[in-house]
Amino acid sequence: MVREDLVESFCRHAKAMGALTTKVKDVQRMKNEILEFLKPRGQRVAVAVSPLLKSADLEAALKEAGFEVETSGAWFAREADSGIVEFDLGVAETGTLVHDATDLYKRLASMLPLNCVAVLPANRIVRDMTQAFEYYLGQKTWPGYLALVTGPSRTADIERSLTIGVHGPECLLIVLVEEGEGSNAGDSL
Amino acid sequence: MPGTPFKARVRQALLNPTLRGALERFAADYVVAREQVFAGRDFEGLRTKIASIKSAAALQLRELGEEFARQVTLRGGKVFFARDAASAREYVLKVAKEHGVTRVVKSKSFATEEIQLNEYLAEHGIVSYETDLAEWILQLMPGERPSHMVMPAIHLPKEEVAKVFSRHKGRPVEPDIKTMVRIAREELRDKFLTAGLGITGANIAVAETGTIILFTNEGNARLATTLPPVHIAVVGYEKLVPRIKDVLPILEALPRSGTAQPITSYVTMITGPVPVGGVEGTALKEFHVVLLDNGRLEMARDPVFREALQCIRCAACTNVCPVFQLVSGQVYGFVYSGGIGSILTAFFNSVEQAADPQSLCIGCRRCTEVCPAKINIPDLVLELRKRIAREHGMPFSYRLALRGVVAKPKVMQGVLALGKKLQRPVTGGQPFIRSLPGPFKGWTEGRSLPALSSRPLRERIRDLEKAPVEPRLTAAFYAGCVIDYVYPEIGEAIFRVLQGAGVQVRFPLDQGCCGAPALYTGDIETALKLARWNIEVLERASTGVIITACPTCAVALKHKLPSLLSGEPTWYERALDIAAKVKDFNELVQEMEVSFPGFSTGERIKITYHDSCHYKRHLGLAQVAREVLKRHKGVELVEMQESDRCCGFGGSYTLKYPEISQALLERKLRRILESGARIVVTDCPGCLVQLRGGLDKTSSPVLAKHTAEILAAGQDLR
Repeated sequence: MVREDLVESFCRHAKAMGALTTKVKDVQRMKNEILEFLKPRGQRVAVAVSPLLKSADLEAALKEAGFEVETSGAWFAREADSGIVEFDLGVAETGTLVHDATDLYKRLASMLPLNCVAVLPANRIVRDMTQAFEYYLGQKTWPGYLALVTGPSRTADIERSLTIGVHGPECLLIVLVEEGEGSNAGDSL
Repeated sequence: MPGTPFKARVRQALLNPTLRGALERFAADYVVAREQVFAGRDFEGLRTKIASIKSAAALQLRELGEEFARQVTLRGGKVFFARDAASAREYVLKVAKEHGVTRVVKSKSFATEEIQLNEYLAEHGIVSYETDLAEWILQLMPGERPSHMVMPAIHLPKEEVAKVFSRHKGRPVEPDIKTMVRIAREELRDKFLTAGLGITGANIAVAETGTIILFTNEGNARLATTLPPVHIAVVGYEKLVPRIKDVLPILEALPRSGTAQPITSYVTMITGPVPVGGVEGTALKEFHVVLLDNGRLEMARDPVFREALQCIRCAACTNVCPVFQLVSGQVYGFVYSGGIGSILTAFFNSVEQAADPQSLCIGCRRCTEVCPAKINIPDLVLELRKRIAREHGMPFSYRLALRGVVAKPKVMQGVLALGKKLQRPVTGGQPFIRSLPGPFKGWTEGRSLPALSSRPLRERIRDLEKAPVEPRLTAAFYAGCVIDYVYPEIGEAIFRVLQGAGVQVRFPLDQGCCGAPALYTGDIETALKLARWNIEVLERASTGVIITACPTCAVALKHKLPSLLSGEPTWYERALDIAAKVKDFNELVQEMEVSFPGFSTGERIKITYHDSCHYKRHLGLAQVAREVLKRHKGVELVEMQESDRCCGFGGSYTLKYPEISQALLERKLRRILESGARIVVTDCPGCLVQLRGGLDKTSSPVLAKHTAEILAAGQDLR
């Protein structure tokens, strides 16, 4: 599958599973999209710092726009309205995000707040789960906490009626960045 | 009907319309959704892969457990090998006490329910909070039983849940699902943040890397494994697979089979301890795995039941089980429900406790079509039934009927001849018994029973064999008891059709019961006796082909004879010879390319086809039957909905569980009527007993016929 098809398939499946997706040309536009999304969703934002988010200077942009930003601490993400996390991979076949979430802040930012922004370089989308597993098998050790995330947190436990936002996010926005710092790493896929 | 507590539970469930409605709606949606989510995928290939991974793993569970433990330890975690439920509980308590834990958050786990962990911890002053929404709701309702393995609260309407929440919160809660989910989120979030210990199960455990894998939609397992400073995973041995890549097919099949989702919202793969947060900064979490035996290693040593360790707990089998849909998991009584549950219960609890749950399996084999681990659940249930009969004996009435009568073909002929005379007071000369007195009343509720024919097939043979035939082939006809004694007209139809096609048909008068009733109640002694008897009778007939028109008999002759006699080389050879000659009536008609001109009136009659369970799923002849019917020019075949859903007969099942049998029949009759057909056709005389009985009881104008009767009819059918 060529890159465009992978991106298209990933977005289609992610949407079918209840995620919002948006594609942006560069990190500047990524920041704009994120700010737009966060605006109506509360002041407090927990950011799990990663190379791409750092190089984009997202923290400064958020603060400038008037958000309270947390990046660490014992109470990290507990009271936050939104969390922002970079993911390692996307799986086109199911619209699944994958990351090595051994880092505590990555986990907390993606688990605790009601809203989650997942940032993913567009060139890091693989065809299927087999390729995703191969990516991690190619690393020195298998990750301590490997998380596969597909859409928001959901339940159908009462009358089988689909309800989102049980213990995790009720809203998941996936921002696919076409150019950026992450793109070089993607060449190894 | 003798009333046992178990049967009372069955009756109670059948009388609960909310429960039944919820399960039936789910089951109907599930079938469609499952088909969609597997569309374009090679399900057979996928399940063959899973079966091969899991069956190989079952042969080396101990070694896999050791390798798994080595890897977990290398990564900094701890593994405890728990021989039984008690040692598993004690270990968990010990760890909890070491950390001064008073509150535990749990993510849904069968293994912890199996070892009754919550109750045990509570006795020692530790409170466990279930965090899966449905499990939490049930926890707030003491005494309420889970109705389904994957969706334990599927039977509760939102109004009921609102009542529970109102009571719990001490203020009125509206029956609005979104609001209630939010309440659960807020209340349980607090528990996650303050609990000293998180307990989970695992869907898969990987030996190669020491990884445990959890599938959830709500995200509760993520929080339970991230927030508390200690994590214990209670994992059954059967969850082990050798390599990380073995996870892939299970990952593909489990959510699709369980809830018809392409994947669950979260799949969490944990390998060793990871950092957790605290007021003093981050520290490494403590990570324990309790590897639970509790009967599993014994199961792995059992050449027959080892197969059940392939189960990945998706519950697809119960989702398609027609009996489960009527009674729910509440009736089965133990942690694991459905047919597979009864097998697991036999090993994890005891054979006694599995006795009632296993008896609910009607043997329709629908589960075998969807099991992603390719487990032959109905055959395993039969094996279990055999062991129960062997170790605990059968009820006196069964023993008397099977060993005293059925096992002795001459006695059986005599008893049936006598029955024919004695039945007059209840039949009044009609072909049906419409009601029975006293304790047998339940047998004729919703369905009339057939009367014995006044002239069984064996008494009509001399006339039938007189018909002139230019023989292309000589065949023996193995009629089976129902055709011989109840519906000899089917036998006559078979003679007419085959003789017309140039088959010289012989009827061995000594033929005995095929043994199925004994086999399906676990009476191997009787089944063996009849197997040898019939082999001798059919050998004496010395024909190249043996015709059957009853799928239960065909399965018995073709498959069960050889497997029953597999331990006795000479008998086994003889059984194989007989088995090779057995051919279903339709198969022969199709092979000989017999054609049928149509009714003399020239009209076309709307006919719908009911797939008998054995005919479709054991003999695999569903299409052949339809093609044969289409050979008749007067037939217009219209398909009914759910044509392959069990009619509820199941042989002695209909007498053991008349209420379940009747409920299944009602649904079948509804589907038949909806099809608009004038005649329902099937290839199983047992199904005909049920269908004709139901149609008679409801005074329906629809007729139920055997395929042979349609083919033999040159005139309009009556």
